[in-house]
Amino acid sequence: MTFFLAQLEFDWSQVLTPLTAQWWQETACSVLVGIACGVLGCFVVLRRMALIGDALSHAVLPGVVIAFMLTGSSGIGGLFLGALLAGLVTAGLIKLVSQYSRTKEDSAIGIVFTSLFALGIILISSLSRGTHFDLKCFLFGDPLAVGRDDLVMMSVVAPLVLLTVFALYHRLKIASFDPLVAATMGISVGAIHYLLMGLLSATVVAGLKTTGVILVVAMVITPASAAYQLCNRLWSMLILAGVFGALSACAGMSLAFMTNSPTGPAMVLVATVLFALAMLLSPQHGLISRAWRRRQVRRHVDSEDCLKAVYKLDEAGTSCAAVAIARQTSLPVPRVGSMLRLLHAERLIDWKGNVAALTFAGRRRAAELVRAHRLWESYLADEAGIGMENVHQEAERLEHAHELADEVDEKLGHPRRDPHGEVIPARD
Amino acid sequence: MIRPVGDIMMTAELSGSIDPATTPAAAPRSPEAPVIAVHGLTVSYGQRPVLRSVTFDVPAGKLVGVVGPNGAGKSTLLRALLGLIEPDSGWIRIAGRAVGQCRDRLAYVPQTEAVDWDFPVTVFDVVLMGRYGRLGWLGRPSATDCQAALRALQLVSMSEFFDRHIRQLSGGQQQRVFIARALCQEADILLLDEPFAGVDAATEQAIFALIGKLTAEGKTLIVVNHDLSVLDRFDLVMLLNQRVVAFGPTRDVVNDDNLRRTYGGRLTLLDRADTALRENQVRR
Repeated sequence: MTFFLAQLEFDWSQVLTPLTAQWWQETACSVLVGIACGVLGCFVVLRRMALIGDALSHAVLPGVVIAFMLTGSSGIGGLFLGALLAGLVTAGLIKLVSQYSRTKEDSAIGIVFTSLFALGIILISSLSRGTHFDLKCFLFGDPLAVGRDDLVMMSVVAPLVLLTVFALYHRLKIASFDPLVAATMGISVGAIHYLLMGLLSATVVAGLKTTGVILVVAMVITPASAAYQLCNRLWSMLILAGVFGALSACAGMSLAFMTNSPTGPAMVLVATVLFALAMLLSPQHGLISRAWRRRQVRRHVDSEDCLKAVYKLDEAGTSCAAVAIARQTSLPVPRVGSMLRLLHAERLIDWKGNVAALTFAGRRRAAELVRAHRLWESYLADEAGIGMENVHQEAERLEHAHELADEVDEKLGHPRRDPHGEVIPARD
Repeated sequence: MIRPVGDIMMTAELSGSIDPATTPAAAPRSPEAPVIAVHGLTVSYGQRPVLRSVTFDVPAGKLVGVVGPNGAGKSTLLRALLGLIEPDSGWIRIAGRAVGQCRDRLAYVPQTEAVDWDFPVTVFDVVLMGRYGRLGWLGRPSATDCQAALRALQLVSMSEFFDRHIRQLSGGQQQRVFIARALCQEADILLLDEPFAGVDAATEQAIFALIGKLTAEGKTLIVVNHDLSVLDRFDLVMLLNQRVVAFGPTRDVVNDDNLRRTYGGRLTLLDRADTALRENQVRR
């Protein structure tokens, strides 16, 4: 990894030098693209249309080429209209193919966009030699081609997207969350679908020059997916996705200038890093917080198991050394050691030399566990009809839900003895 | 050509396709007029019939259970009642009017498995969606709408959860939230699609208690259901397997004979006739 980064020739003197007019123009344009893509991307992600996003970006190619043929220039207005039409035709064709054949939607999308893309490439190759149409620029993006027109167009498209999403926020929300119920309320779900498709094609064609056909879909999906990991409300997801989009564009541009690498891929990689961070660090769904919660539960269970082992060994008059507890709980000795330290910190046990002894609070807690265990055993045997020989294992797990013990006791009518004939201690 | 009016009526009734709303001399409705009237409803997907000539009336304030095997057309019936499917023939009237004219009287509670539980919405957001039908394209929910949503949450005793994400609820709570949304629509006809699928016994009790409260308030409920053991809790039961096998008060309808006819396979001759017709069409 470091080797590859070294190959990129970081040139720190370039961090500020790019502040030229051209750089500003490109960055402003990319940031607007990032914001618009991020916000629209939320609906693409939530409506599971990621593949359609990819399809639209590819399928605008023939529209762009035909517009170029007709107008004879790469004037931005013509290209824009061509792309918009191509986008809507794509959405319509996909619907048509999946409705009137047994082809499922994902395959229909694949068929439509590849064929339109192929058509676009054929059209390009049929252009007379010497005409100025740069295929490479459309495929991979070329920030140097970003001109004043592009910036002007983007400063129309991006606010238009934001305004539409703001104005139709509630319609978009219900049509995305529950299209069936939206339809029963007389809300035109189809119109909203095509509106989104139209906005998406407009944004995608505007973003073509910065990231290229192949990568523009990343700007739609990745920032929105990162925001999706972190948000429980739609409006916060929309805002955060916009911010992530802008951030990826801005940081990507700087990174590209510093390393003298292409801008589109740099923007996409920044967005991916943001996504990876969101995936790891999200407070609810993140890998780290999930691992942490699992660890907390494990600790709760293991420490209670150790406490109960001390209680039992104590009752039997055996010495409560760590080794004996480990044998009783079948936990490794070091784990028992750390659990005993935890119990000591909670003042549930005391040390007498090398041997653990229950404090008053510890004895109470252990009795509570034993009571929960025996109550659960009775419950499993009487209510759930589980065989006597199996109730112990299951109760070992359930006893840690000791806050439910009173309800179980109530339900069973305060039994005196568990199925093995042992006394269930009364609640103190 | 002059034909007696009675004759036309006669023919129309036999063919089962006349629409009372388009009939000029529709009889004045008595207070006991059915709130839902379905006549000769036939629906097919492609060329495969799903509902065949379904006819029934539901009086207001009744709790109706619809049961039948998989593929019996239960969900299709609900969709047709909601006006989401154009029937091949037959008609549906809600209090004498076409479904499209009284959408606000109907509310739908979807199956829990049809809901995207990861969607970033809170309990309150979902319930408030019940008011969206009244908003225009650019509309925003008003304070009145928010109050209605809170009231609906109170009715299903879910007020304290209003700020939770829908993923953080138990199965029964999730079901109650969607019932609250239906109530928030202020509809008097509620269509519930398998509300008891995958819920525990206690939750089932809670939902029935809520449903009972709603029918007591005069709402009409149609509940699609998989579980035969709860049939005696409904006022009326419809046994459906593409056609209405039986429809009426539970104790009259639910018996071994009817259940066998509902669950013991389709009318194979009808299916074979359909297949033959399909193949003839191909050959022609």
